[in-house]
Amino acid sequence: MLELKRTLDAKGHGVLEMPSGTGKTISLLSLIVAYQKAYPLEVTKLIYCSRTVPEIEKVVEELRKLMEFYTKETGEKNNFLALALSSRKNLCIHPEVSSLRFGKEVDGKCHSLTASYIRAQHHSNPSQPVCRFYEEFDAVGRQVPIPSGIYNLDDLKDFGRKKGWCPYYLARYSILHANIVVYSYHYLLDPKIADLVSKELAKKSVVVFDEAHNIDNVCIDSMSVNITRRTLDRCQTNVDTLQNTIQRIKETDAAKLREEYRRLVEGLKEANVARETDIYLSNPVLPDEVLQEAIPGSIRTAEHFVGFLKRFLEYLKARLRIHHVVQESSPQFLKDIYEKVCIDRKPLRFCAERLRSLLRTLEIADIADFSPITLISHFATLVSTYSKGFTIIIEPFEDKTPTIANPVLHFSCMDPSIAIKPVFERFQSVVITSGTLSPLDIYPRILDFRPVTMASFTMTLARTCLCPLIVGRGNDQVAMSSKFETREDFAVIRNYGNLLLEMSAIVPDGIVAFFTSYVYMENIVASWYEQGILENIQRNKLIFIETPDAAETSMALEKYQEACENGRGAILLSVARGKVSEGIDFVHHFGRAVIMFGVPYVYTQSRILKARLEYLRDQFQIRENDFLTFDAMRHAAQCVGRAIRGKTDYGLMIFADKRYARADKRGKLPRWIQEHISDGSLNLTIDETVQLSKHFLRQMAQPFRRVRPAPFFTRFS
Amino acid sequence: MFNVDRRLKFPSALILCLHYPACLLVMAALSEEVLLVVKRVRQRKQDGTLYLMTERIAWGPEGKDRFTVSHLYADIRCQKISPDGKSKIQLQLVLHTGESTTFHFANESTALKDRDAAKDLLQQLLPKFKKKANKQLEEKNKMLQEDPVLFQLYKDLVVSQVISAEEFWASRLKLSSVEHSLSNNSKQEVGISAAFLADIRPQTDGCNGLKYNLTSDIIESIFKTYPAVKQKYAENVPHNLTEKEFWTRFFQSHYFHRDRINTGQQDIFSECAKQDEKGLKSMVVQGVKNPMVDLLSLEDKTLDEGYGSLTVGPNSSKTVKENSNSAIIKRFNHHSAMVLAAGLRKVDAPSDQASETSSTDGNSRDSDFFQPPIKKVKLQEAIEYEDLQNGSGPKTIALNLKKSDRYSHGPVPLQSHHYSTSQDIINSVSCIQEEISCYKPCLTRVMPSSAASSAITALSPGGLLMQAGTQQAVSQLVPTDVQSELKHLYTAAGELLRHFWSCFPVNTPFLEEKVVKMRSNLERFQSTKLRPFQEKIQREYLSTNLTSHLDEMIQAAYNKFHAWQTRRMARKT
Repeated sequence: MLELKRTLDAKGHGVLEMPSGTGKTISLLSLIVAYQKAYPLEVTKLIYCSRTVPEIEKVVEELRKLMEFYTKETGEKNNFLALALSSRKNLCIHPEVSSLRFGKEVDGKCHSLTASYIRAQHHSNPSQPVCRFYEEFDAVGRQVPIPSGIYNLDDLKDFGRKKGWCPYYLARYSILHANIVVYSYHYLLDPKIADLVSKELAKKSVVVFDEAHNIDNVCIDSMSVNITRRTLDRCQTNVDTLQNTIQRIKETDAAKLREEYRRLVEGLKEANVARETDIYLSNPVLPDEVLQEAIPGSIRTAEHFVGFLKRFLEYLKARLRIHHVVQESSPQFLKDIYEKVCIDRKPLRFCAERLRSLLRTLEIADIADFSPITLISHFATLVSTYSKGFTIIIEPFEDKTPTIANPVLHFSCMDPSIAIKPVFERFQSVVITSGTLSPLDIYPRILDFRPVTMASFTMTLARTCLCPLIVGRGNDQVAMSSKFETREDFAVIRNYGNLLLEMSAIVPDGIVAFFTSYVYMENIVASWYEQGILENIQRNKLIFIETPDAAETSMALEKYQEACENGRGAILLSVARGKVSEGIDFVHHFGRAVIMFGVPYVYTQSRILKARLEYLRDQFQIRENDFLTFDAMRHAAQCVGRAIRGKTDYGLMIFADKRYARADKRGKLPRWIQEHISDGSLNLTIDETVQLSKHFLRQMAQPFRRVRPAPFFTRFS
Repeated sequence: MFNVDRRLKFPSALILCLHYPACLLVMAALSEEVLLVVKRVRQRKQDGTLYLMTERIAWGPEGKDRFTVSHLYADIRCQKISPDGKSKIQLQLVLHTGESTTFHFANESTALKDRDAAKDLLQQLLPKFKKKANKQLEEKNKMLQEDPVLFQLYKDLVVSQVISAEEFWASRLKLSSVEHSLSNNSKQEVGISAAFLADIRPQTDGCNGLKYNLTSDIIESIFKTYPAVKQKYAENVPHNLTEKEFWTRFFQSHYFHRDRINTGQQDIFSECAKQDEKGLKSMVVQGVKNPMVDLLSLEDKTLDEGYGSLTVGPNSSKTVKENSNSAIIKRFNHHSAMVLAAGLRKVDAPSDQASETSSTDGNSRDSDFFQPPIKKVKLQEAIEYEDLQNGSGPKTIALNLKKSDRYSHGPVPLQSHHYSTSQDIINSVSCIQEEISCYKPCLTRVMPSSAASSAITALSPGGLLMQAGTQQAVSQLVPTDVQSELKHLYTAAGELLRHFWSCFPVNTPFLEEKVVKMRSNLERFQSTKLRPFQEKIQREYLSTNLTSHLDEMIQAAYNKFHAWQTRRMARKT
């Protein structure tokens, strides 16, 4: 609280690490809301960013509780407006559109019902379908602001249904004057979306990034592009369609194209139709990099532009026809493309902008079909805009299968600070927080900002309800490690199996086990199966395993929870960095023990990673090993930290790799885990682990004695 | 798990043993049909004839028409036979009580054959009765184990032969059987062990074959978990295949060894595999009900295809091994889900209708109206901390006093001269307060300090004047072994008296008989247990009034009995 207040007072940025499941969200909310109430002119808006939809909804519910408490204590109704914003898929109430399963389909369908030219057509031809919810909102929704209160996604939908307004556009419109906005990272970090949604948010806002341990990857992902041969093939179809459409329009309605041309000459890019529904995807580069000048003459006419695209496409195809790996920087690429096909840098920069304009002019309804060409245009714009921080890697085949040609062009962002820079520059306070941010100093370095406060908090516990144990050896004294040299070792695999088997016999309800990678898990499961270890585990608990397929995993997850609920007990085998480890909590009986098999290093042989490490070393003076260990440990902590929530909860945290005992690994765990690791819990054998666990579980299973609620965090000195 | 190659090479050598008690004969137990008669069987050096009947085994000495030995099958724990090489050919029956009876087959020429015939028949007969007997026995055993007091009672009364075991259990089991029938209705369905397939350990039988032991439990588990197999069984077994063949094929089938990529094998189970696949798919398509675990809708804004740093290309390049690995994983997920579902099926049965309709609704996304409740509940769960809830402690009942006077003073004995109303007390208290307020110490007339301190010591606990008031508890006077013995005596006496008093009013001949017996039991108890104890107490110079209450209780019972008897005599005459 103190640190947060200091950050707000200084109008600076902060990095706060708070243990998961201790009321982090509500603490942040209550202080910032109170600050907003006390200094309404200093802080006008709170932008709370979280990662997943359930997280967003949780935040809003917490906020609702807080507001109810305000009302109860002060007796007056406060006029705060807080709302959650999510994608159309989660907010649409149009019966037809909302029945679509995938977000992209929903977006495309929505666009085909609400684009301005569709609506214009509707005027002349009433049989043209439009979305009545949007029409209604457009007609009356903007005049009266939405009444103050807390709106979760479902509340927005209900409100929309009642009024007949489109909840999505209502929310997007309302965030401009709302006091608190809760949405996903992407709405701020991904320039393609941020430009649409968050452009007009007030400067005097406080931005909170919750669960921000992966924020650098989000930044990088939002600015990286991969192009495969399949993409290019589909692009080809797109270009052909464009050409045909242009041809047709030219015959029927040449004036339209002339009008566009005139507009482009004058540089009136968006002036006439800055309609929210038209912009499907905005410019992929950051706002301050977008050129504020007219589109160059060479691509102004539609035919010329299509010709330009064709040339660009052919060039990319030629680049993909290689037999060895190529790595180059953006300037090299630009030089090469100029030499080979005479494409200049400037028209490339306008590629995305120009394509957007063209698509609108051509009145293409099903815009989702054009995602490949959009991708290519974004790549063109990005590669010509940024000369630093990006790399181009062309791989003719996958490493594992050198015989099968599957060329991929990776255009990869290596500098997360590029995407997040405008956020730090624009908003007065940005708070980055998560349960696992250790070591704290690395985040300011890789995100390139100066925080006014950095603090790691530990928790006050009514009892030591977490028990981290580091298992280094099997009962046969063979060291356990997922190290590359030993990971296929029979003894290591067997010891891992024995550990799980022993734990399955003593831990009640749910156990979650994480492996370092999916392939590794598959191999281990197969050899456990052959050795009969899994059968023995099945005597104690049911086994569920994460698969690459999200739907299948969801089912397994639900069954796992069911099995924990009805007392049968289950084991979930999962993967660090997988979807389960990122988004699912295993509180109370859903996770009485978490076992981390091995240290979850990233696949270090990947060229993208190598390039990134090199960049980090050159630009930020972060040593490769430091970064790798940091990355592995934050994921380990993330996996393990999902088991604890609140003081009544308890859980074992088992790190099954002898390397965890080393100071350089251990020191990178969050403080709140580290302080419970005693010397006695390092490098244990399986038997010792079982003994310690038994003792711990027996103690914890005693009824929880109520203590007076104490403050959640204390400052770690 | 086992060697597949060998199995495939010698499929004909695969043997299956089926212990399948489902084919139990239902027997008419009314008539005493003699199943086997064996002559010239010696028992205790006496020649005689052995009879095996439907419910019991009996032996009668030669020339007599009654049985001197007769055991119900239910009483027999096991039978033992003498080793083959021995000169005496014997059969021993061990009873549950621990006694045993040995029969010696003495007919030189056919002794071995006779014995084996008897043995085989017994082997068939015993298991049928075993279950029944065991159940009762187990129940008794369980009761004794769970209840140490009862166990002690059993030792005191039955083992020392004060009353017989039947008498002891007669009243108990009735109680328990009532409980049993009650609990039977709501008996908890036992789930299926997840490892039931692992329990079928194949054993090599020495000649390159594999032997699977299938019990009815496992078969039931297989059926419950994989309804498809059950269906196949119902379709095929009586007409197309024998049971044995069916299971042989099951174990040979690709279905059982699904991790092996073994295509092209045509068997009846390939259809099952397909069906399962379909079931799994439909489960996946149906999606999950709990929105908090739905990984598909977790991400708010997924990056479009082609963006991001990781590419998940089409998995065209999977090796065969990897494929089989992921098949194992799939299979485990499916297996666990099926086991879980099998365990829950019973519970779901009544609400099947409802769940079916709701699940189909939940499938279409129009059912937004249905979804929020689950979601709300889950969200609430996720943001609530139970330790921060107020007033979740045990509810207390407010004390509601009609007369607070009575509460604070307690029940005061109604004595005329002591009786004072609360008004009096208040008055006197105020009086004292007044006096205290105007109290002036008169320092010249105080007690000397030595006298005062001696008075205080005399009045403090353990002091001279306080001794009469402290009554030492019995527990401090009597050694612990005597105490525990006394306790046992009390419980035993209580049990006997309970039996005794439960006979009144005596209105049936059975009760008459019982009451007489109970009286004699009491007398026996008094003479064998109580008397020795009393003597022991006397020897140790403890006060004899320890047992006076026991004596009183027993005497009261005697008096009652006497009164009843005299009345009966009077009525008779």
